[in-house]
Amino acid sequence: MTGDEKLIEIKNLSRIYSMGEVKVKALNNVTLDIKRGEFAAIMGMSGSGKSTLLHQLGLLDTPTSGEIIFRGKNILGLSESRKARFRLEKFGYVFQEYALLPELTALENVYLPAMALGRKKEDYIKAGTQVLEQVGLGTRLYHRPREMSGGEQQRVAIARALINKPDILFADEPTANLDSSSSKQIIGLFQKLNKEMQLTIQMVTHEPDDMKYVSRVVWLNDGELSIEKYEKLII
Amino acid sequence: MFNNVKLSLFLASRSMMKGNKSTQLLIIIIMSLIFVNLVFIGSIFLGVTEATNNQVINSLYSNVVIEPKTDEKYINDVYSLEQKIKGVPGVVGISSQYVTGATLSYKDKHGTWTVRSINPDNEMKVTTNYKYLIAGKYLSRLDENEILLGKEIAGGYGGDIEYNSLGVKVGDNIDVLFNNGIKKSYRVKGIFDANFIQTNTMAYISQKEMESVVGLENKASQILIKTRDNGNEDRYIKQFLEMGIKEEIKPWTVYAGMVKNITNSFNMISIMISAIGLFVAVITIFIIVYTSTVSKRRQIGILRAVGIEESIIIQSYIFQAIFIVISGILIGLIIIFFALKPWFIEHPLKFPIGLASLMILPERVSMNAISLIIAALAAGFIPSWLAVRKTIIDAIWGE
Repeated sequence: MTGDEKLIEIKNLSRIYSMGEVKVKALNNVTLDIKRGEFAAIMGMSGSGKSTLLHQLGLLDTPTSGEIIFRGKNILGLSESRKARFRLEKFGYVFQEYALLPELTALENVYLPAMALGRKKEDYIKAGTQVLEQVGLGTRLYHRPREMSGGEQQRVAIARALINKPDILFADEPTANLDSSSSKQIIGLFQKLNKEMQLTIQMVTHEPDDMKYVSRVVWLNDGELSIEKYEKLII
Repeated sequence: MFNNVKLSLFLASRSMMKGNKSTQLLIIIIMSLIFVNLVFIGSIFLGVTEATNNQVINSLYSNVVIEPKTDEKYINDVYSLEQKIKGVPGVVGISSQYVTGATLSYKDKHGTWTVRSINPDNEMKVTTNYKYLIAGKYLSRLDENEILLGKEIAGGYGGDIEYNSLGVKVGDNIDVLFNNGIKKSYRVKGIFDANFIQTNTMAYISQKEMESVVGLENKASQILIKTRDNGNEDRYIKQFLEMGIKEEIKPWTVYAGMVKNITNSFNMISIMISAIGLFVAVITIFIIVYTSTVSKRRQIGILRAVGIEESIIIQSYIFQAIFIVISGILIGLIIIFFALKPWFIEHPLKFPIGLASLMILPERVSMNAISLIIAALAAGFIPSWLAVRKTIIDAIWGE
């Protein structure tokens, strides 16, 4: 499914956290390319820096050094406001804890980023409804997060990530809180999105089983790129 | 810009709708009480000041007072002066008076008070004391040997300084020793209560009677002039001066020194209480918004992560604060105009300076409302701004 076009180039990326006198290298000089249309799993032991890498890629955090080049442009130099806009337009996020707003219905949670983009009301409601139908929640539009199961909430989060048609979707251990059946549904959904929409997906996971669903595995060990492994998509 | 506002309103409305209703109602009630307090304090002080000003005009000095030239004891040629003044458009009444000090005594009680002589027909066009008789009758132009007493002189009518009163009733005869040494006996014809201690400590006799006592004619100690409207005294004074009147011409305000002091003190108290009220409002809103941002720290992080700008999140909290304050103001306005104001009209406060009610000025109400809204802006902005200062990672996953 992957093409040769580089979507993101990561060059010498480091993230060092200061904890008093102690400096912890969460990421150490990582250089990596992300190709358009790939479905990659970022794996490693706990504390290996996989979530940190995803946060840097998703502009949720600022690396200590290095470059993140998105389609030829270093996006680390953007102002906070431009970064917010960039995240809104280009990126989609799925977090481990679903990260939905409890006051909003499923539909409102989903169309919020579209609303922020300035789309017309009828447009974002229609798009929100469609994308929720796409993830199999067409009958749960007006339910609030607490009225839904974990798997359903995660699918709402995926729908929210998709509403603005992002170039890349970042998923941070999206199945960690789910039972095996819901986990399979979510991974299957990612596969489908990657296959049918050529959506680039970077997913942090600690589940070895997930490797068989992805086209590429990026291994991290103590903040350094350990092995880059490409595998054929196994359906 | 418009879209950002729309999104902020959307977030604010959802947050308010799903929030704890009774807590919100309680907070709105607190805001309404703060607003009522802001308006009430200023209005009651203004009401007292206004009542006092009205008393000075209506029962003591009218709008404009003409006094003798600096080195003279009386105004001369009063009749022709009155004719001149009458010709000025807007002058609705003129009352020339002799004013003197006198010692009034009854049985073993006595005291020194001011005695004014009046032409009752003219005086009724200038002051309203004739409306406030509590016993007996008002003076007539030709009355001789009759006197009208304020209730503080007469006593027995619940005055503020009764210990000094003569304890007389209508029909009793009192002795009056004038400053020029002449002593006469007068029958008490009436007793009045002008609701103003300064007026209630005065006695009135007819001009004719006074002329016989002081042996003067066509002279006066002061001329009170009633104008059609209050507040334009300076314009009338200018006209009188242009007519060549050489006597001292003064607006009523120069006699209201006591009122000025009261007004200044009331203004200061009002400002202090308003400042405390606003401070309480700021602290209340700050705590509400701060608590909300702390409890929704993760949600704020999520919003930022998905690309919602910080300014939109801040605005949403400011809108919530403004909603609380505007709701409080609206409820406060209902309390003020449909409860407090009618109640105070029915039950005015009784002061030695007169009956005072609330004087609610729209500009003051607007100013208080705007102050409260500005306070809400600041109190909503600071905690939400602090909340979005955190990094997204700290906001979502931090301790």
